[in-house]
Amino acid sequence: MSDAGAPHESDQRVRRLRWRNPNEARHRTSDVINAATALDPTADLPQIESDVELLRRVARGDQAAFAQLYDLLAPMVHGVALKVVRDPSQSEEVTQEVFVELWRTATRFDASRASVRTWAAMVAHRRAVDRVRSEQASRRRDDREALMATPTHDPVVAEVESSIDQYRVRKAMNALTATQREAVELAYFGGYTYREVAVLLNVPEGTIKTRIRDGMIKLRDELGGGA
Amino acid sequence: MIDHDVHLLAAAYAINAVDDADRASFEAHLGTCELCRAEVDEFRAIHSSMAQTQAVSPPPALKGRVLDEINRTRQMSPSVRQLPPALHRATGRSKWAAAALIAAAALLVVVGVSVLTRNDASDPFATELAMVMEQPDARMVELDEQPSDAGRFKVAWSETLQRAVVIGEDLGAAPAGKAYELWLITPSASMAMHVLDPASDGNVHASFDMPQAPAKWAITVEPESGTEVATGDIIFIGSVA
Repeated sequence: MSDAGAPHESDQRVRRLRWRNPNEARHRTSDVINAATALDPTADLPQIESDVELLRRVARGDQAAFAQLYDLLAPMVHGVALKVVRDPSQSEEVTQEVFVELWRTATRFDASRASVRTWAAMVAHRRAVDRVRSEQASRRRDDREALMATPTHDPVVAEVESSIDQYRVRKAMNALTATQREAVELAYFGGYTYREVAVLLNVPEGTIKTRIRDGMIKLRDELGGGA
Repeated sequence: MIDHDVHLLAAAYAINAVDDADRASFEAHLGTCELCRAEVDEFRAIHSSMAQTQAVSPPPALKGRVLDEINRTRQMSPSVRQLPPALHRATGRSKWAAAALIAAAALLVVVGVSVLTRNDASDPFATELAMVMEQPDARMVELDEQPSDAGRFKVAWSETLQRAVVIGEDLGAAPAGKAYELWLITPSASMAMHVLDPASDGNVHASFDMPQAPAKWAITVEPESGTEVATGDIIFIGSVA
């Protein structure tokens, strides 16, 4: 998991991408980045107007600002909904619910407690989990498969933007023990409660609570700064 | 009331890995535990990175549907200050409304006119008091001294808001190294709420999160650092009617 073999390049993003796709030829990686920046000028300059600024305008009822915020956040929101809920049409409903909630509550956003992205991701995860739990009685999901399934990543831009996070999260996840990782992934991406995780893994609830906590402490320490 | 098991839930709570019952009890605990509140915020910061790893653009048509819906959706009014989530629940005028107004009047006299302007940011306590007293379910009791200590205590609270304020007047200084401590008593537990250190004029004003509905309020004299289990005799007590 070291990128020591990567050539010296000033662009961190290139190195991280290469790490992510070790088998990909160098020129192809660069092409992806060039294509992405050409398609989307914000890809390399993450936010021209900060998302906090956008949100302030949204809080004053600015629908154009909201449309911009949607573009920034929709892949993340929809992705987490899809991962947890799995059903595409339900995931779209959840994504829509999330954005309506972000619109309604933008007036109460507290920048001192969370970044805009964290806030949006929290709302998305909570809505997705609520959807899954309300469906639970009628719908069985294959827990293991849910974790392994990879959503179809169509847009190149979303790929490039998320690759840094994927690198960071994968690196952070590697700091967890296998049992901690399993518990955190079932809880986060599976949408299960710690009690349900305990049943799935046939381990006492207290043990799962501790594994989630210890795993989250490591994730927090690895990822906290980049939120 | 320190329950280490409860503290352990902060991580699971932050990533929604709790059921409704666990959520409710942990949120009650959050009201009294600043450590857990800070920890939950820290744990929540992982959400953006975790979610971003899954990024997938939704179908383009969704944007139009979202923009159409928000065009028909009113935004919430901003809060004057950050409110606990409980406040977002709908509240109706209750039978306590009239009592609350009377109680508010009584308290306003105690604290002074500045309370009348809720946006008076120069006096945080006045703002807190006004917020509690504005609630339809605001209550107040005056505590009786046992047996005959100097001074008076009044406590006002709102279960909707899960906040309470305490006002003490004409209090003698606590013995060296000691302070007054306020307790919330339910049929099953006594919870330390706030350590009170009277100013030189004998007055105390404090506000705090209230995790549960009180059956009684009581004041004891405790070490000035506060304690989780009462060690001193009750010197003031008031029952909730």
